[in-house]
Amino acid sequence: MRIVVEDLSKRFGATQALRSVSLEIAPGKVHSLVGENGAGKSTLGKIVAGVYSPDSGKLLVDGQEVSFQSPFDSLKKSISLIAQEISLVPKRTVVENVYLGIEDATFSWVNRRKLKERFAELCETSGIFVPGDKLVAELKISEQQKVEILRALARDTKCIIMDEPTARLSAEESSKLLDVIRGLTKQGRSVVYVSHFLNEVLEISDQITIMRDGQLVRTSTPDQETHTSLVEAMTGKSFGSSFPSKQTSEIDEKPVLEVKNLYSRNRFADISMKVKAGEILVLTGLVGSGRSEVLRAIFGADKFDSGEVFLEGKKLNLTGPNEAIKAGIIMLSESRRDQGILALRSVRENISIPYLSHVSKLGLINRRKESDFSTKYTVETGVRAASNEVRISSLSGGNQQKALFARALAGNPKLLIADEPTRGVDVASKRAIYDLLASHSGKGMGILVVSSELDEVVGIAHRVLVMSAGKIVKELTGSEITESSVLAASFEGMDTLNGN
Amino acid sequence: MVIEKMNSRILNRDVIRKFAIIWVTALVFVGLSATTHNFLTVTNLRNILDQQAFILIVAAFTTLVLISGGFDVSLGAIYVMGPIVAMRVEHATHSTGLMLLAASAVGLICGVFNGLVVAFGKINSFIATLASSFIFFGLGYVFSGQGILTISNFSERKLVTHRIFGITSATWMAVLAIAIVWILLDRTKYGRFVFAIGGNIEAARLAGIRVRQIQIITFALAGFGASFAGTLAAIRATSVQASDDLSVIFAVVAAIIVGGTSIAGGAGSIWRTVIGVFFIAFIVNGFNLNGIDPVFQRVIEGVVILLAVGADAFGGSSSD
Repeated sequence: MRIVVEDLSKRFGATQALRSVSLEIAPGKVHSLVGENGAGKSTLGKIVAGVYSPDSGKLLVDGQEVSFQSPFDSLKKSISLIAQEISLVPKRTVVENVYLGIEDATFSWVNRRKLKERFAELCETSGIFVPGDKLVAELKISEQQKVEILRALARDTKCIIMDEPTARLSAEESSKLLDVIRGLTKQGRSVVYVSHFLNEVLEISDQITIMRDGQLVRTSTPDQETHTSLVEAMTGKSFGSSFPSKQTSEIDEKPVLEVKNLYSRNRFADISMKVKAGEILVLTGLVGSGRSEVLRAIFGADKFDSGEVFLEGKKLNLTGPNEAIKAGIIMLSESRRDQGILALRSVRENISIPYLSHVSKLGLINRRKESDFSTKYTVETGVRAASNEVRISSLSGGNQQKALFARALAGNPKLLIADEPTRGVDVASKRAIYDLLASHSGKGMGILVVSSELDEVVGIAHRVLVMSAGKIVKELTGSEITESSVLAASFEGMDTLNGN
Repeated sequence: MVIEKMNSRILNRDVIRKFAIIWVTALVFVGLSATTHNFLTVTNLRNILDQQAFILIVAAFTTLVLISGGFDVSLGAIYVMGPIVAMRVEHATHSTGLMLLAASAVGLICGVFNGLVVAFGKINSFIATLASSFIFFGLGYVFSGQGILTISNFSERKLVTHRIFGITSATWMAVLAIAIVWILLDRTKYGRFVFAIGGNIEAARLAGIRVRQIQIITFALAGFGASFAGTLAAIRATSVQASDDLSVIFAVVAAIIVGGTSIAGGAGSIWRTVIGVFFIAFIVNGFNLNGIDPVFQRVIEGVVILLAVGADAFGGSSSD
């Protein structure tokens, strides 16, 4: 089966996820998609699999134009997606999962023996063996992935899209998966392989498409590429946003925050760092490397197992975010919608909520005081809203984020933690947010940022810590901070850990 | 010009939708006034008002629970168990004041228990309070000795039946409860936090709200409301027993939801609860005046509630 993508574009809110991308997926080949976080590779995969429908452009399957409204439609055309998250029914057996929805049934009575026979046959022809009677929950993740592949094959899939299939696998398991993929292509099936692991990509691919900022950089073959050439193409020059100049003169040697040997089981380990007054420290690394988890632990949002956190030299024993805010730490969380805004409430209420004691007496809120309080900070951060009385959810993403900055800055924190501060934000608001960060660090605030956007990391950081698989693997300062050095550090860490 | 016109049209539609329950209740009121003899009389309206006093008290505080994103099934059991303990105290002390104090204390204790289980046990509040309702219900039997408890001094009924400006003291207490909840929701820090945790509990926690504390206070207030209202109702009826009707919670929740407060939490208001209570009260009163068989009344009542809630769901979430 040959899949052709022509001029595909897709926008999510303020983010242009794909800009007129064209490529061709040949039968019996492994076609890899690589790029930074947010480059558009997953979006492309999901459009081909019918999860999203494109805003414009064409999708052709064997020369015929198709328009998928759901994964069900793409499945009918023999295309299936194996998502990053396993989507099996854990408490059912492997056989039941593989044939879920396509059981041999007479009047809804599932014929178990026949299913088992078919399953044995499927294992034989595909060369993928998994014990059929076991519960999915009892299997290792790599085996669960095999079940997903078998499920795709049971539906006679001609093209399988795999999104980061090895992200949670050990080195040995990954190499087994690569063998399975080779087997699939021998049977004439094509595989779209979305991955961060460049060494794997170079090993398995017939074609590699490099993406950046929603655009296709180039499609080439592994013999034309190296680890370095891929990294360079993935970073390139970024579009749009520009940054305020970095001021280093204001950095005080005295740390605002000091973290010693922070450890949380299965999340991160050996985390030690300092954030100085007036400094912007950026924590980066691939998604899933444990960055957000570290921030949440420092903020008291999650518990950690051992280690110490000091604020201005004083040891903190936080039991929750409310105590962190009292102590002078404020965090802007990663997901604005799920963890940030109170969508049903007004801009005014969203900003004042942590500080209502300042504007109330005996628990009764003084509306006028509250309104003045909120307005002061919406003016400072440049929130654009019809009024502060409108629901915050009616604002654009950029203005919602500015409102959350207004909330954070209203507390005049000693340490400001911002997790992906410009995600889903338009270019103009991005610049406004960078300016806010720069001006407050200039006034002596310590700022700790998690960011996946390389241009942002390079543009705002005084110092960078790169995380990989729950550990800090590299520190970069001053002129060492370049897009390629940051990306190289992220991938080196990953590939070493993965044993490649 | 065109834009202005469009805006005003959108505004009108929003106003119609947002206040739909008011228009519908008004329609029912006018309809009954026109068609039903004896509906629009001072005596009848006064009766409706006085009959709703106890429901209104429970509903006012239960509104807090629903807005906070929780649910409390056990209020029905507290509504019966509270007065049993209160009555025991009255028998022992012959003091009306101590009886009401006991009623309040029992309600608060039961509510705090629910709150602790929900906040620290991380158990879904519907399940947690379903379980605790069995506990409270069982305790009611234990405390009552499985008998009927009667007030020792019938003049105590004055506490709830005494008329001020033609309206019973129980109704005045309901007005007070509504006012308290209105102030809590609209004017206090606590109220803001209730809306916040109901809307998005994680965002609220990260904004520094002590979520557990708010949950415990909310369940405690609801427990207090149910126990206190139950005791007032028992005083009016002069007696209470453990097998009394626990279904008051269903009437209360139905009224709150019909009023338009979201069961998903984060949105709602006390005026909606008040309108919801009267919407159902008018309908039931209309049935009675028209002599409709009580068996069918229940069926029609259920259908009406479904229609009201369904209309709200189809019209999009309108409450705030």
